[in-house]
Amino acid sequence: MYPKDLKYHNEHEWIRVEGKQATLGISHFAQDALGDIVFLDFPKVGAAVTANQQIGEVESTKTTSFIYTPVSGKIMKINTDLKDHPEVVNSDPYGKGWIAVIELSDPKQVDGLMTAAQYEAFLSSQKK
Amino acid sequence: MTAPKHIAILGAGPGGYVAAIRAAQLGARVTVIENQALGGVCLNWGCIPSKALLAVVELGDKVKKAADYGLTIEGSVGYDPVRMVARKNKVVEGLVKGIATLFKTWNIEHVEGTGELLDAKSLRVVRRDGTDVTVQADAIVIATGSSWPNLPLFPVDGKHIITSKEALDLGSVPKSLLIVGGGVEGCEFASLYSGLGTKVTVVEMMPQILPLEDEEIAAFMARELKKRGVELYTGTTVEKVERPPSTVCARLKDGTVVEAEQTLVSVGRGFNSRGIGLEKAGVQVGKRGEILVNDRLETNVRGIYAIGDVVGKAMLAHVASAQGKVAVQNILGHASKVSYNLIPVGIFTLPEIGRVGLTEQQAREKVQAVGRNPETDVRIGRFRYAALGKAQGSGDVAGMFKIITDVKTQNILGVHIVGSHAADLIHEAAMAMHLGATPAKMAEMIHAHPTLSEGLMEAAEDVEGMAIHLARKKS
Repeated sequence: MYPKDLKYHNEHEWIRVEGKQATLGISHFAQDALGDIVFLDFPKVGAAVTANQQIGEVESTKTTSFIYTPVSGKIMKINTDLKDHPEVVNSDPYGKGWIAVIELSDPKQVDGLMTAAQYEAFLSSQKK
Repeated sequence: MTAPKHIAILGAGPGGYVAAIRAAQLGARVTVIENQALGGVCLNWGCIPSKALLAVVELGDKVKKAADYGLTIEGSVGYDPVRMVARKNKVVEGLVKGIATLFKTWNIEHVEGTGELLDAKSLRVVRRDGTDVTVQADAIVIATGSSWPNLPLFPVDGKHIITSKEALDLGSVPKSLLIVGGGVEGCEFASLYSGLGTKVTVVEMMPQILPLEDEEIAAFMARELKKRGVELYTGTTVEKVERPPSTVCARLKDGTVVEAEQTLVSVGRGFNSRGIGLEKAGVQVGKRGEILVNDRLETNVRGIYAIGDVVGKAMLAHVASAQGKVAVQNILGHASKVSYNLIPVGIFTLPEIGRVGLTEQQAREKVQAVGRNPETDVRIGRFRYAALGKAQGSGDVAGMFKIITDVKTQNILGVHIVGSHAADLIHEAAMAMHLGATPAKMAEMIHAHPTLSEGLMEAAEDVEGMAIHLARKKS
């Protein structure tokens, strides 16, 4: 449910860091809470973003919620396949359901994010 | 027996023609002067033709999902703009004839020509053939309306730079369209043309599209337009327009360059207050060129009244009609006033928007202005279309209801609906507000199942956190 090679954010996004780039998506918990996802509003490629900033929206049949970036940098790529198939975020949130790739401007920010174990503990503390 | 009062009405749009009929109903002799088609902009180049065309795209949107619905269609589905326009024209012609018939039954005289005031009691009308006639009346109602923009930055040529008038008479579907102005008209045309397959870009100066709407509703519509492939630029303006032979190239303030086959100018309308003899009769106009009127819709000149867009209050067809009735009632001794604080508004985007009363921001500001807590004293009930059985059945699941209330007075301050049939649904809320009903009263009334109207009942219940079909909220 929560792959160990990823880092997690308290707004339920994950990032996968490869060199200076981070791929971003939403966690299993987020996709499950949202329900059937019908639309994603993406940031524009080339946009400069700051950690904890809203960069887009996810709409499900139940609700609409913001996508936050856990890290600062520049949007390099967005997953345009999701425009026609937003449901992939539900079925494969850590794989084909990735949302954007960000070039990190401050790689140290990654250290401040949660590990899979910390995120799971965070989720169970939220339940209480 | 005294002769009936003679009222001359200059303009037969939704203000003028309604005023004419009401005046005749009240016993007046009525002459209407109009140089174009009866029904004005609303019926001929506005509200009605745009709805006739949008209906086709709404149908097309559904047909494109036919397979999901289990409807088998052989062959391809496409739009035929020539036939769409022909049908639209037929709809319009039928309604124009309807007004002519109403005029006949009420013995209203229609003088075809361009009218100009000579003094407080007479008008000169120049007919199309150049002959003229003078109309004498006991009272005059000016209902000349407003006209399309003509801004120096966007020289309208009717081909590459167009107004809504040309956009409704599309001979072919442009590959790309830049819409300047993301207000009601801009968003309606964005819905229409994106449906036809045009790549649409909207540029809006204000930070949100539909600047008059509730922020949440405007954001909802922005998402719906993006789903249709519309590109939105807000908080920016067009700085410069270049005209390569077959396109329009617009440079935005933020440096972005948008190139499109056509540009639709959807900003600003001008008041039709020039060339109608206002100076001769001594009628005062305001800074923007709007005719100044009092509560009775009478101008500074006794016996001359003005209604509709040309008075620049709320530039809406239904407000013009309401003003038209009030003006002639006042002329004929039935004192009345227009109540502007409760005007329902319909926006015919895909899906529609319905609004009445204050937005959430306005409600919070209003409460704060009287020294109360804007956070706790304004309470909001929401409900989504997706939780309605009727919406699921028809497949129209995108939408929401929003009821804004004053906790202290229990008054409903505003209601906003986005979704299928929103412009129709809003009237239940408007009536509730008109009669001073509380959300509890709205919720108490049994709503038929399964209907979209149940959404208003649920939203009213949600004000107290008691909507039945909403998951329990975390406390």
